[in-house]
Amino acid sequence: MTTHRTIAFTLNGRPVTAHAGNHQNLVELLQGQGLFGARESCAQGLCGCCTVIVDGQAVSGCLTMATLADGADVRTIEEPQAGEGGLDAVQQAFIETGAFQCGFCTPGFILMSRQLLDAHPDPTDDEIRHYLAGNLCRCAAYPEIIKAVRLAAKKRRG
Amino acid sequence: MSPFELAEPRTLKSAVKLLDAGDESVRVFGGCTALMLMMKTGVFQPKRLISLRGIEARYSKVTSAGDGSLRIGALTTLAALGRAAAVKKRAPVIVDTLRTLSNVRVRNVATLGGHLAHGDPHMDLPPVLMALDAQVVTAATAGSRTLAVADLYTGYYETALARNELISEVLVPARAGRRAAYVKLTTRGADDWPTLGIAVSFVTDGKVLSDARFVVSAATEKPLRLVSVEAVLNGATVDDALLARAGEAAAAEAELVGDARGSAAYKTELLRVHAGRAVRKALAA
Amino acid sequence: MVNTLGKSNNGSAFGRSIPRVEARAKVTGKAEYVHNLRLPGMLYGKVFRSTVAHARIRGVDVSAARELPGVHAVYTAADIMKLVPDPHYGPAFHDQPVLAIDKVRHVGEPVALVLAADPHVAEAAAQMISADYEELPAVFDEVEAMTSKAVVHEVLKPAGTFPDLKHLKGKRDTNIALDFHLRRGDAQKAFAEADHVFEHSFRTQQVLHVPLEPFVTVADPTPNQLVIHTASQSPSFVRIEIARLLGWPESRVRVKVPYLGGGFGAKLYIKLEALVAIAALLAGRPVKISLTMEEQFYQITKHAATLRIKSGVSKDGKILARECEVWWNGGAYADIGPRVTQKSGFTAPGPYDIEHVAIDSYALYTNLPAAGALRGFGIPQLVWAYESHTDMIAKALNIDPLAIRRKNILREGRPQATGTLMRDAGIEQVLERLAQRMQWEKTFDRGSGSVRRGRGIAIGFKASISPTTSVAIVNVSADGSVMVNCSTVDMGQGSDTAMAQIVAEALGIPVGSVTLVHPDTDVTPYDMATLGSRSTYHMGHAVKLAAEDARDKLVALAREVGLSAETVPIPDIFRRKYGMQAGNIVGVGSFIPAYAPPDAQGQTDNATPFWMIGATGAEVEVDTETGEFKVTRLVNLVDVGRPVNPAIVETQISGATMMQLGFTLTERMDFDAGQVTNASLADYRIPGIRDVPAVMENEAVDMVQKSGPFGAKGVGESGTFGVSPAIASAIDDAVGVRLTSLPLTAEAVYRGVRANAGRPLED
Repeated sequence: MTTHRTIAFTLNGRPVTAHAGNHQNLVELLQGQGLFGARESCAQGLCGCCTVIVDGQAVSGCLTMATLADGADVRTIEEPQAGEGGLDAVQQAFIETGAFQCGFCTPGFILMSRQLLDAHPDPTDDEIRHYLAGNLCRCAAYPEIIKAVRLAAKKRRG
Repeated sequence: MSPFELAEPRTLKSAVKLLDAGDESVRVFGGCTALMLMMKTGVFQPKRLISLRGIEARYSKVTSAGDGSLRIGALTTLAALGRAAAVKKRAPVIVDTLRTLSNVRVRNVATLGGHLAHGDPHMDLPPVLMALDAQVVTAATAGSRTLAVADLYTGYYETALARNELISEVLVPARAGRRAAYVKLTTRGADDWPTLGIAVSFVTDGKVLSDARFVVSAATEKPLRLVSVEAVLNGATVDDALLARAGEAAAAEAELVGDARGSAAYKTELLRVHAGRAVRKALAA
Repeated sequence: MVNTLGKSNNGSAFGRSIPRVEARAKVTGKAEYVHNLRLPGMLYGKVFRSTVAHARIRGVDVSAARELPGVHAVYTAADIMKLVPDPHYGPAFHDQPVLAIDKVRHVGEPVALVLAADPHVAEAAAQMISADYEELPAVFDEVEAMTSKAVVHEVLKPAGTFPDLKHLKGKRDTNIALDFHLRRGDAQKAFAEADHVFEHSFRTQQVLHVPLEPFVTVADPTPNQLVIHTASQSPSFVRIEIARLLGWPESRVRVKVPYLGGGFGAKLYIKLEALVAIAALLAGRPVKISLTMEEQFYQITKHAATLRIKSGVSKDGKILARECEVWWNGGAYADIGPRVTQKSGFTAPGPYDIEHVAIDSYALYTNLPAAGALRGFGIPQLVWAYESHTDMIAKALNIDPLAIRRKNILREGRPQATGTLMRDAGIEQVLERLAQRMQWEKTFDRGSGSVRRGRGIAIGFKASISPTTSVAIVNVSADGSVMVNCSTVDMGQGSDTAMAQIVAEALGIPVGSVTLVHPDTDVTPYDMATLGSRSTYHMGHAVKLAAEDARDKLVALAREVGLSAETVPIPDIFRRKYGMQAGNIVGVGSFIPAYAPPDAQGQTDNATPFWMIGATGAEVEVDTETGEFKVTRLVNLVDVGRPVNPAIVETQISGATMMQLGFTLTERMDFDAGQVTNASLADYRIPGIRDVPAVMENEAVDMVQKSGPFGAKGVGESGTFGVSPAIASAIDDAVGVRLTSLPLTAEAVYRGVRANAGRPLED
């Protein structure tokens, strides 16, 4: 048993290795890889600014031990998407509806909205509000975020 | 946070052994959400942690027996618990409770065992599981034991678990005709820790109630059964007068604790009113 | 795309809802924040903070921290003073030490700093520091601070920037950091003659900004300059103040600001910059300090306030006289509190036409975390009081809330309490449109049984901070593309987009050809700060003037080379002049509005270049059995002049409203002996998506600010004004409970219901 070790994982589709300490979290691990889209803000898993997709599931990067990423499939907001201009339907919808102001929480909202639409392709307002209740936006672009999710759902249906 | 060692045993048995061999600061974790919060604030500074994530897969599964009872592995994540068909069918109150329990990301990793073992009286599932007469199965080098969730909590952040003992499974008994509800009251916004939690369950033929369970949480040191309320409900038919009596009994029996989310007096009034509303919610469930 | 002056191929740039210019960067997580910055050799700083509210420092033991492997240095005030003998800073008073000297004045005050290459090591070392304090009596309440024996600062040290603070220099044994007085007419005489006199007191709680990007600053000591990368709303001020502290010319300090993850007034003037700058110079290496969310609770907050209002009213509801006393709880350091006291103080009587007015407004030092500017600059506290007071008068006289406002509002051309005449102030338009959208004249479903419904309206106004200066450069490249150098900080309000639209409009070119150079004091000229909804108006004017200057120079250049700038594409003009794609046209614009300082009675004929107006209508549903209530509808009306970008304006209105909804319902800093007991987002609840009312409507009324750039003025704060009193009035309307203290809690409503029934809830 050691306090640090070298881990190997898939980051946005590419295999990478990194040296990490158990006391470091996933956000720090990603920063070491030059990725800053997952941001530690509340440090308590409440605001969602640090959202990362690990093995297909959204987690709070600030509450996830870096070394537990060993062997995992890790995806972040920086991952290029298949849609127009490298953006997916959710990102395009966020731009079109103006669903952000300062942008600090935006990656978390976008990643969570993708997960929401995977689980509920045609979500009700109540489903949207419940699913995104764990993400905070101090600029309070919430009405536009709800619009963006609805628009993205429509875009994804084609 | 300062560096610490991490053990990742492959079996429950070896996890228990590692726990037994360690000092006071050694802890096991499933999702590590609550422990991370404690470590980040410096409240808890471990030298070694034991991850249970690699132990036998059966501890992450939900199975239902032919009689309708549920056996839930302690490492089942809250998200998996909410998705499990057997839970939806046998204990929909759990699924309903999970909807506003923390958030999607935490539910994706936090485990039922960790949720129960933490001992925080603001947790939502302990009162619900108490109202369902659920039990926990524990593991230790000395052996395994089964105890009621109601007996798990001994005080504020205190449980009946020994330092070298962990929860391995949760058992929810089958009860035909039982209905249940959980009411989570928040006073600082829609999403918050509960100011008061109320879990209620009973058997009913549609008119008369029997075998009622009534549990309050969050405003108490630990989730608490209120037997006087159960006595009012048992054998009675639901009408406004009965629900008012249930509320009076709850307010009289519960000794609630005041905090920044509400004074003890106000929480008692919330309980007086919402006790009956919780019964109505269960009837409609 | 080839640009020709005045020939934008897709119509007017101004007034269109184009997406933000930085939209793509923000949705891909690639927008630049100081948070992202890491420099070679950089050290991380961790602050050791006071655990007591008021004490003499007997000693600070940093020995264990210094010995921890990996620690580069530990500094206390003594180290700071080796470089800067008098390390006190602040915009109004030079009262805040870089690290505590001899005394601590609030819990959370920085006492020592650890530097280490590994932030975890810095954190562990900071936990090893201990301090020995001799505790002093502390004062927390703003009214008590007026007469308290506990004195926060032995001697007052006004910064000298503001003439109205000069008389406070050297004053001892007082907690009053500024007293502002206004007298118009004879309020006392009018009270004696009025049919009715009403007097009420109100309180607002201490809250904070909570930008999701907490404070963060990096300082890099390069051979010729100190470069400061900081999440600041006021890069120009940071440069001036750091240069003053170091005794350097401004040109040796370079301040760079990328995007901000929220500001809301928190990141103004100097926050972490002085400490990080001096630490970097002492260490000779780049230093970064990122505050945690918990530390933000001790950095800067919004003033709690106690407000007393007295009105003399005729029997038909005409307000004849008003007297206002306001005590602002400024915390341990003045920050910009004295400006809040004065600039907001003079609107304390509200947007009403009142002949006799007396205002006394006091900025108080207490032993709480400092209070500064927060979205509205004191106005939401005042509106809370004067609009609640207005409705209490209306109820007592049995006059409809809309009717009493119609009778008394300050109409165009009438003098405000300072004597300044109202110009382009859509008070009447906002009020009337609100009444329309609320369908005020129609019968309202008041609910039944234990669910009762009510509604309320409230309107407020604000002056712009004046006089302030903005300077901008518009740089036209030889291919016809345009760079705009300005120090306005885009913290989410959309200023990059707005400035690009204004410049594009002024030059008649597409918005896509305009790029904003982010604040960098080496290349972007002076701007007072991004605050108080001033940028659209002030910087808007400056960039417009700069664009017009560039246009005039282009026209002249074209004429010089025998072309017409109106018909020939811009690149052709350059090519004709220089023989190739070469050269620049640089336009400069500088703007400071006219202003007249108030006299001893607070009177002036020009208090502000423009007025901001905001009103809210609220509908609520109250559970009479528990006091629990829901805000079911919020209607927000503002006068922003002509909106530069209507979609962004709408998000500014709803965002401001939601923020104020948090301050109205859920947010409150709780204290125990000066210690914040809820310094986390788990216990200090900011609004989430499920807190958004089921119906929320936002609208900018059809107005033009004739003195504004293309008719525009500021918008960032107006949505906050009416929220709190409108909701309180709606609750009163529903269940007859009038709350006079924020936040409005279900428990307070329930206690009111019980008190009304003659059965007060006993504890």
